[in-house]
Amino acid sequence: MDFAEYPDRAAIRDTVAAITRSFGSSYYSAHAEGRIATDELWAALAKQGFVGINLPERFGGGGAGLAELALVCEETAAQGCPMLLLLVSSAISGEVIARYGSEAQQQTWLPQLASGETRIVFAITEPDAGSNTHQLSTTAVRDGEEWLLSGTKYYISGVDGAGAILVVARTGTDAQTGHGLLSLFLVPPDAPGLTAQPLPVAAALPEQQFTLFFDGVRVGADQLVGDENDGFTQVFHGLNPERITGAAICVGIGRYALARASAYARERDVWGVPIGAHQGVSHPLAKAAIEVELAALMTAKAAWLHDHGQPAGEASNMAKYAAAEAALAAVDAAIQTHGGNGLSAEYGLVPLWSVARLLRIAPVNREMILNYVAGHTLGLPRSY
Amino acid sequence: MNIVVCVKQVPDTWAERTLRPEDSRLDRASVDGVINELDEYAIEEGLRLAEAHEGEVTILTMGPDKASESIRKALSMGADKAVHVIDDGLAGSDALQTSAVLAQVLGRIGFDLVILGAESTDARMGVMAAMLAERLGVPQVSLASKVEVDGTALRIHRQRDYGYDKVEASLPAVISVVEKINEPRYPSFKGIMAAKKKPVETVTLADTGLDAGQVGLAAAATEVVSFANRPPRQAGTVVKDEGDGGTKAAEFLAGQKFI
Ligand SMILES: Cc1cc2nc3c(=O)[nH]c(=O)nc-3n(C[C@H](O)[C@H](O)[C@H](O)COP(=O)(O)OP(=O)(O)OC[C@H]3O[C@@H](n4cnc5c(N)ncnc54)[C@H](O)[C@@H]3O)c2cc1C
Repeated sequence: MDFAEYPDRAAIRDTVAAITRSFGSSYYSAHAEGRIATDELWAALAKQGFVGINLPERFGGGGAGLAELALVCEETAAQGCPMLLLLVSSAISGEVIARYGSEAQQQTWLPQLASGETRIVFAITEPDAGSNTHQLSTTAVRDGEEWLLSGTKYYISGVDGAGAILVVARTGTDAQTGHGLLSLFLVPPDAPGLTAQPLPVAAALPEQQFTLFFDGVRVGADQLVGDENDGFTQVFHGLNPERITGAAICVGIGRYALARASAYARERDVWGVPIGAHQGVSHPLAKAAIEVELAALMTAKAAWLHDHGQPAGEASNMAKYAAAEAALAAVDAAIQTHGGNGLSAEYGLVPLWSVARLLRIAPVNREMILNYVAGHTLGLPRSY
Repeated sequence: MNIVVCVKQVPDTWAERTLRPEDSRLDRASVDGVINELDEYAIEEGLRLAEAHEGEVTILTMGPDKASESIRKALSMGADKAVHVIDDGLAGSDALQTSAVLAQVLGRIGFDLVILGAESTDARMGVMAAMLAERLGVPQVSLASKVEVDGTALRIHRQRDYGYDKVEASLPAVISVVEKINEPRYPSFKGIMAAKKKPVETVTLADTGLDAGQVGLAAAATEVVSFANRPPRQAGTVVKDEGDGGTKAAEFLAGQKFI
């Protein structure tokens, strides 16, 4: 076992932190409050090769793994600028296309993802099929060599500014289980028949969410990613990266919140001693610091397993669970430490709470992870 | 063009820096080391000149083991190779001694252009470029905010209070640069990975040909006789705006000779 921080990992951390710091946490909170995409930071990170760090080298990526992408997610968040679309575009879409995309799809999309020129967002959630993917009702029906897509997706992040949407659709039904057979399609946001309607969320996020209405959207065979009806397996390949990067963002948020809170608690003095001297203030922060550190370890383990081609489902789920809980505890304690300032626009903690709170629900909610651990790890029967 | 950039590792400028009571030396161990800020501008200028003139950039650093982090960063920004002068006998050397060591190494590795930051954030002497030029017998052009090389002609803008002077010299030469000169690049991920494979030559005191008795704290020409902590910061002056806030603020600034 080796817990050493290798020099190149330290250099990635330092550089990503330095780039992000030049924007600053106020850049993020202002964009979050204004619902404006953080495209400038995205471009700056992409320019130095950090957005496509996990993509294959022959398509302009860094040729590194998820461990490195997770560092990018963690360090941007640790400077107060969590980049949610890294989890969608670099983690899910990037990994799925690099693994299952045709040569032509890879040549078209991966260089653009690596350079930061465009993003590919991911659409699976539907109004009537949330956590239960087997219930998906968006369908792709064959029409000669082509397909016609119909149905509704919602809460799809970042459709504005995306070059394509990776859409999960039902292409058949398993005769034995009755479950949907799924396939993945790359659909341009301006495809005829596709309407993207902004879906306002109260959580302060720079990324906008959309409801997507597919009304007989025609897609060519060259837009099918991987094999027909194999979508479930393919999506699964992207889910662990999504959970690991989600966990990494949470670890970063936790670190940021704790750094801000402890700096504040060392200075702020209302009863003759800094408020950090009161255990009512210090203990929740200390507890959150332990939880964040534990979540960081689990996240590193999950990334390692994924990068070494070993089963990473359990570790990724555990990391995502632990990190979201730790980030929420850290941000909540940080807000409490700041008193009234904790809710101010100036101190910028509420937008980070929004992200941490979101990551308890998405990409997979806390309860589904507990179900997974109950069933998979502990061998307990299911209620559903 | 053979460009050498002298890079010093200094304690992080943002960290609390202290002197050690036992020998009045800066406590370097307990703070993170970073590349001296102006040296990043020197590296950037070296890289730009090398890109424009098909040159090669060598990083030259004198410092303890830990300084290899800074060398690595300079290499990840794009420098081609590095020379690390490392020897316990060098600890506590002052500017005069450091310049003797660096000049020896520069004489051996050769150069067309040596670039330095105008001063370091720790010692703030601002004399290294002059000392090196003197020892090497080449021109010094200092405080450059712009550098142009044309064959062996070197033209710079030398930053002054009133603007700049145009200064010319011929290569080989030593230049020091100021912050205005450029915007240092960040390392790229590819640069970080490539830095691992770039050659770093380590040079000991014996390799420089200097005598151990000439360098280090005991032989330093300067000595810190005493030091005191900076007095605690004074409470600020609050100007209350009762319709005349602007005038009062201006009076305050004028009183402090800021305007
Ligand atoms: C800001 C934001 C951005 C998003 N971005 C995207 C995106 O880019 N792409 C995309 O496809 N989706 C996206 N989503 C959707 C997100 O992934 C889903 O909201 C999430 O997976 C949960 O699905 P649901 O909302 O349908 O919840 P439901 O499945 O309806 O579940 C509701 C709640 O019920 C509980 N629950 C459900 N099932 C069980 C069970 N079996 N056992 C116990 N408890 C259970 C859980 O507590 C859960 O939180 C986004 C959502 C938000 C809010």
